[in-house]
Amino acid sequence: MRISARGTYLTPARLAWMTAALAAVLGLSLVGAALLGPVHVSLARALAGGDASPDRVILFRTRLPRVLLASVVGGSLGASGAALQGLLGNPLACPHVLGISGGAAVAGVVALVAGADAVSPLVPLAAFCGALASIAIVSGAARARGRTTPHAVLLVGVVFNALAAAVLMLVNALVSYTQAQGVLFWMMGSLSTQSYGLIAGSAVYSVVGLGWLVLHAHDLNLLTAGEEGAQQLGVDVERTRRSVFVASSLLVGAAVSMSGMIGFVGLIVPHLLRLILGPDHRLLLPASFLGGAAFLVWADTIARTVLAPAELPVGVVTALAGGPFFIFLLRRSLRRSVA
Amino acid sequence: MSRHALVLALLVAGCGGAPTPPPAGPPARVVSLAPSATEIVYALGAGARLVGVCGQCDRPAEVAQVPRVGGYLAPSVEATLAVRPDLVIAVPSPGNREAVRAIERAGVRVLVVRDRTLGDLWDSIPALAGALGIPEAGDGLVTDLRQRLDGVRARLAGVTPRRVLVVVDHNPLVVVGGGTLQDELITIAGGTNVVRDVGSAWPTITLELVVARAPEVIVDAGMGDEGSARGLFAGLTTVPAVRDGRIVRLRDDAFFRAGPRVADAAVALADAIHPGVLAPEGASREAPPG
Amino acid sequence: MIEAERLSFAYDRGPVLADVSLTVAAGELVGVIGPNGGGKTTLVRLLSGVLAPDAGVVRLDGRPLAAYRRRDLARRLAVVPQDPTLEFPFTALEVVLMGRAPHLAALGFPRAGDVEIARVAMARLGVAEVEDRPLDHLSGGERQRVLLARALAQEPAVLLLDEPTTHLDLRHQVGIYDVVHELARARGVAVVSVLHDLNLAALYCDRLLLLAGGRVVRQGPPAEVLDAGTLSVAYATDVQVTVNPVTGAPVVLPTR
Repeated sequence: MRISARGTYLTPARLAWMTAALAAVLGLSLVGAALLGPVHVSLARALAGGDASPDRVILFRTRLPRVLLASVVGGSLGASGAALQGLLGNPLACPHVLGISGGAAVAGVVALVAGADAVSPLVPLAAFCGALASIAIVSGAARARGRTTPHAVLLVGVVFNALAAAVLMLVNALVSYTQAQGVLFWMMGSLSTQSYGLIAGSAVYSVVGLGWLVLHAHDLNLLTAGEEGAQQLGVDVERTRRSVFVASSLLVGAAVSMSGMIGFVGLIVPHLLRLILGPDHRLLLPASFLGGAAFLVWADTIARTVLAPAELPVGVVTALAGGPFFIFLLRRSLRRSVA
Repeated sequence: MSRHALVLALLVAGCGGAPTPPPAGPPARVVSLAPSATEIVYALGAGARLVGVCGQCDRPAEVAQVPRVGGYLAPSVEATLAVRPDLVIAVPSPGNREAVRAIERAGVRVLVVRDRTLGDLWDSIPALAGALGIPEAGDGLVTDLRQRLDGVRARLAGVTPRRVLVVVDHNPLVVVGGGTLQDELITIAGGTNVVRDVGSAWPTITLELVVARAPEVIVDAGMGDEGSARGLFAGLTTVPAVRDGRIVRLRDDAFFRAGPRVADAAVALADAIHPGVLAPEGASREAPPG
Repeated sequence: MIEAERLSFAYDRGPVLADVSLTVAAGELVGVIGPNGGGKTTLVRLLSGVLAPDAGVVRLDGRPLAAYRRRDLARRLAVVPQDPTLEFPFTALEVVLMGRAPHLAALGFPRAGDVEIARVAMARLGVAEVEDRPLDHLSGGERQRVLLARALAQEPAVLLLDEPTTHLDLRHQVGIYDVVHELARARGVAVVSVLHDLNLAALYCDRLLLLAGGRVVRQGPPAEVLDAGTLSVAYATDVQVTVNPVTGAPVVLPTR
């Protein structure tokens, strides 16, 4: 299937164009989503009124921080999903399915229970370590199987997620969540926030992680020739693996510590973008960041408007979209490997 | 050969054939599988008859001596049957249905009471009292509680009700909705629940809804710590509760139990919503300074 | 110029190569032949530096492989593998451009000259028309030619091929080896190719290395190595060797 957005090979010009286009889509999404919600808000009133205007408070204290957080988290998940798919050579990979979000969440909860303050950088740091540990274990399982089945990795991820869920429930029962946030926050995700400071901090981790990944984007391309093939083309495979792992952990750790586990963003967005834009990671990585951001902004908008005035956890919306999509992809992949 | 037949016959008899008929006279060995039911039993004066309670039963203090038979969500059928009860009291919970059915099939009398609303409470107490053979105690308890609640209502009769939001969990933001005992208590305590119409008993809402509904008092009944509710709503300056510093902690777990302490809960809530209006009745509450 | 000095290697399951030595000068085309499981692919992996030998050393232009940095090595030595992994649908041109990677900076964007080199390589191998088709939409033969084009685009001094013609019909087999032969002669590339087709080997290779049971059975010009007795023992099957009336090269014929 050839779509004209593809071109024959990637040039810096095309990269710039596509990134700008996606950034514009994200920008429009931010504005649109900020104006939508269970409560009707008028932009005019919000800008005109002073601090006493509820419209202004809603827009700038609740909606705007929320959509900004959604973009940082969605972008982090999208980019790390694309990188993991490239590194593991498995288009079904994503931080949630592989149990990496689960590992990050458990580590974050442990940090909170151990006494860390909810806003201290210890929590994202712990989440980062949890994500890294999970990636190491999962990829160890992947390599043990060599290049045979990518599905073995998914099985390890399922087990990991079950384990993470069990630990979260256990902590919830034991600690009676004085500081550990509720189990619902970790397991279904929540983008509710007011703090621009926290969002900025999270954004720093994400941008660093993304930048690091992009530096290795070409290596990820070459890795599609296989580990040996990539080595023969001059890639330091071990260093690339380590870098991608650490950068992905940074992204996933930052996302999960801010918003709990939100699944499937890292699966759906890179996959769809790869169909449209091609598999070149130099474009796919930044595109997955921007696309993931827009995706989560809209998913969150649906989550907070479809049952208005009540709110659905955003993880429910992404799972309802992502679950069937994942099954569809899995079936296609199984059919191809049997054929 | 005959010894084997005897063993076999005993086994068959023991495997729950026909249910044994209830013993004559009021039940002497009672198991309670819910904390609210346990409190009612003690309030009716029948606490001595309890031979087993669920793990979460923590009031009154004497209940600590009673053996545990599993949890409120997951009672242990074996442990319950092992204490040979005449009567098992259960409140429907997500998860205990199968266990309760199993206990019934083993031939033990089970009384199921509900605890969602005040109406449920006025039904459960007489039902329990009747099953325990002490209907007068039940009527007495009901009358007493109703009187005290009416008293609270009366003392607040002249006071303008305040718009109230009661928060149960912070992130996601879970609040008390309509159709619950807690919602009724809010009304009795001189409040109007700003999210009564949202649709479910414990809805999750967005911060912007809090701004839109503009409650005058926010009661934090969650299990978090002191400052977290204030931090949660800090930037929402147009909300009267935030502006005037009326974010109050309600730590008393009586608020969540449909039991004999509902009147205490109503008083505590009234103190939180209208501080100082009620003469001090020793409720546990904390208000922010100033 | 590449040389292997007394290489030995064992996988977990057992020894695969023992005491193998080989020298290939610039402009030479050396064929590696032998029965399955004889160690041919392992030899290629050792020569390319992907595996490290248990004993012995591989030298490129006099320096051991370990002394080269990975990118420098990739600029001098290219490998055409047997079996491409295909998880992601890069187009043929994108794949060939990957061959330029060792010569490019971190993000690997090709300059105009690089695209030219890639296209010329594809034209020589007759896959120019499929440049914008994803790899999984190509036939097995086209895929192999794309991989060879990628190796050509690397502009190596040494080229290693692991059975590059398995999926190809006769015309394309000959076509490939014409290109490879010309590379050796005209460009002075040192080429080592693993082959199954003994007659193709006889036609194109300057020298042959017969590998069986992990050891070098015979090494030398085709006429010398392709000896009926030697081959019958190595391949455990009876063969006859005659001479091609047109080219004068030896022709190996299995007998029933």
